[in-house]
Amino acid sequence: MNGLWLVAGREIRTRIRTKGFLISLALSGLLVVALAFVPKLLSGQDAYEVAVVGAVPVAAADVTYTKYADEAGARKAVTDGDVDAALIDDQRVVSKGELDQRLGLLLESAHREGKIKASGLVITPLSVETGATAQYQSVRTGIATLLVMVLFFLLIYSAMYVAMGVVEEKGSRIVEILLAAVRPWQLLGGKIVGLGLLGLVNLAVVIGGGLIAATATGLAGDFPPGMAGIVISTVVWFVLGYAFFSVLAAAFGSLVSRQEEVNSVLTPMTMTMTITYLVAYFAAVEPEGTLARVLSLVPPFSSMVMPVRTAAADVPIAEIVLSAALMVVATVAVLLAGARVYNRAVVRTGARVKLAEVLR
Amino acid sequence: MLEVQDLRKRFGDKVALDGVGFAVRPGEMFGFVGANGAGKTTTMRIVMGVLDADSGEVRLDGKPLTYDSRRRFGYMPEERGLYQKMKVAEQVEYFGRLHGLGRAAARDAAGELIERLGISGRRDDAVETLSLGNQQRVQLAVALVHSPSVLVLDEPFSGLDPIAVDALADVLKDRCSSGVPVVFSSHQLELVEQLCDSVGIISGGRMVASGPVDELRDTEGRTLLKVVVRGASPGWADGLTGEVTTDGDRQVLLIESGDDQEILRSAVNAGEVEHFGRQRPTLAEIFREAVA
Ligand SMILES: Nc1ncnc2c1ncn2[C@@H]1O[C@H](COP(=O)(O)OP(=O)(O)OP(=O)(O)O)[C@@H](O)[C@H]1O
Ligand SMILES: [Mg+2]
Repeated sequence: MNGLWLVAGREIRTRIRTKGFLISLALSGLLVVALAFVPKLLSGQDAYEVAVVGAVPVAAADVTYTKYADEAGARKAVTDGDVDAALIDDQRVVSKGELDQRLGLLLESAHREGKIKASGLVITPLSVETGATAQYQSVRTGIATLLVMVLFFLLIYSAMYVAMGVVEEKGSRIVEILLAAVRPWQLLGGKIVGLGLLGLVNLAVVIGGGLIAATATGLAGDFPPGMAGIVISTVVWFVLGYAFFSVLAAAFGSLVSRQEEVNSVLTPMTMTMTITYLVAYFAAVEPEGTLARVLSLVPPFSSMVMPVRTAAADVPIAEIVLSAALMVVATVAVLLAGARVYNRAVVRTGARVKLAEVLR
Repeated sequence: MLEVQDLRKRFGDKVALDGVGFAVRPGEMFGFVGANGAGKTTTMRIVMGVLDADSGEVRLDGKPLTYDSRRRFGYMPEERGLYQKMKVAEQVEYFGRLHGLGRAAARDAAGELIERLGISGRRDDAVETLSLGNQQRVQLAVALVHSPSVLVLDEPFSGLDPIAVDALADVLKDRCSSGVPVVFSSHQLELVEQLCDSVGIISGGRMVASGPVDELRDTEGRTLLKVVVRGASPGWADGLTGEVTTDGDRQVLLIESGDDQEILRSAVNAGEVEHFGRQRPTLAEIFREAVA
């Protein structure tokens, strides 16, 4: 075990000293923070000030009225930007540029309400009933969509690093002296654990940054209950997905001796991950569709589809447990086969090793 | 004692090893020589467990090698490999720790070796910034850092300058005298002859000679008679079947020993005899003959 931690420690030390790591860490953090601000930017203004000359109209939501003595004063306030618009004698609206659409509607309906009230007519507003889940639907979909991206990039990026590390050691032949000191499982395990921990740090930065930014912008107020559950399930699924794909990446990587060959030998894996990404993306929007339901159970697709589905909708516990159990079984299977491939292929330098040869 | 017994290995149709065997006693320095492609590297990789033999065995003190016994070996592979971006001292220390040394012990051992191999000025530089010969010294430090109980070095001297050769020879002699069996391959036969207690000559995957250098020189190859005559007229040895070379006013005759007294008589008649004696073959001569 000691050997494994030594290897993991070296991976971590080497990686965090590179600029690439720090930059990608900072960028991914900044990206989610920026995304947390997007709804606020898109939603526009949520409170208005209106100068009133003459009769004060019926109160309107989100609008504050300020009385002005004459039209000239009110117009000046509009031009100076002190108020968003001016209402003259409950008849005319003056604004600087184009009148804010929502403000226009608010003023219009306040105006009508005043007139209706004056005529003695009473209107009860429509009552709206929504299901418990529907209430947070758009936020949940948003979170799920973000999760797909985060999981996909972190998984593919971490797995890629594992493969590149394996090829570096094989190509430079350093693996011969490494294996004179540690067992293959320690070497491979240390690399996977070390880079995985860094992946988790990156995930923590993304989640933490997102949550803090959401709290700062007030977006967190719209978060559905069970946010903690979503976070935990994301972390757990990341670990499972990473274990699966990183072992796969190491096994494929050990077949080649040059970095230039890494991309082509990893193609089957990156294809699988891309398909998983697309399905997960689809699941974020339609979490109860048949495709999403089925693939959220099938490993390795489940590693991204299930957390996304859990975020987007309420998934029965039994399904989550089944899906996690299947993923664990698949990961163990990949670990056994992958370790076998790695053990045999990693010292066979030169031409690309055929998978069938080492699996026998 | 490290014993290599009857190793056989094929790569497809190509037979690389065809019954290779030798033994290295504790404190013995064993030189492994042979032409390119003779099977030295393959043998050493099998000893280190990088390759599996088709048959045959490697034993240490009578017991087959296991992962744990190999872990105390020091190994320098033919294809050098280091982490190019890692610093020299950090890398040597890391390998010390992988081989089971504690943090402080690894640091001390790394520092000492780096000093002895003459690269202490580069200890905090990335390996990739070192010249090839200096990288080789780092590679040696990596092989030696954990005070191995057996040393297996594939061409450790190639690419080193004479000063580094001396430094390495010193380190190896040290390790040897503390009871470590040392095996190294080399194409520098004078060096092997000078350093090693015994040698093994491999040719085409078979051992063609092995044993203590002195014994080999007595038993292998031809022992020639060397006669140096001063002031002899050219052609004095025309009747003899040896080879004559001229060096100034000296004439040197190398001849298969036979009727030695007769040869001495003609030499004395021809001029002033400066040297008359048997000449044992050098390792290089034994080698040429053995692999021919
Ligand atoms: N991986 C391999 N695949 C096929 N043939 C190999 C392989 N490794 C070695 N051989 C063959 O085995 C034979 C012995 O090679 P080896 O590398 O052991 O020679 P060597 O004595 O170390 O030579 P050199 O002095 O050139 O280093 C050679 O004929 C070589 O072509
Ligand atoms: Mg060789």
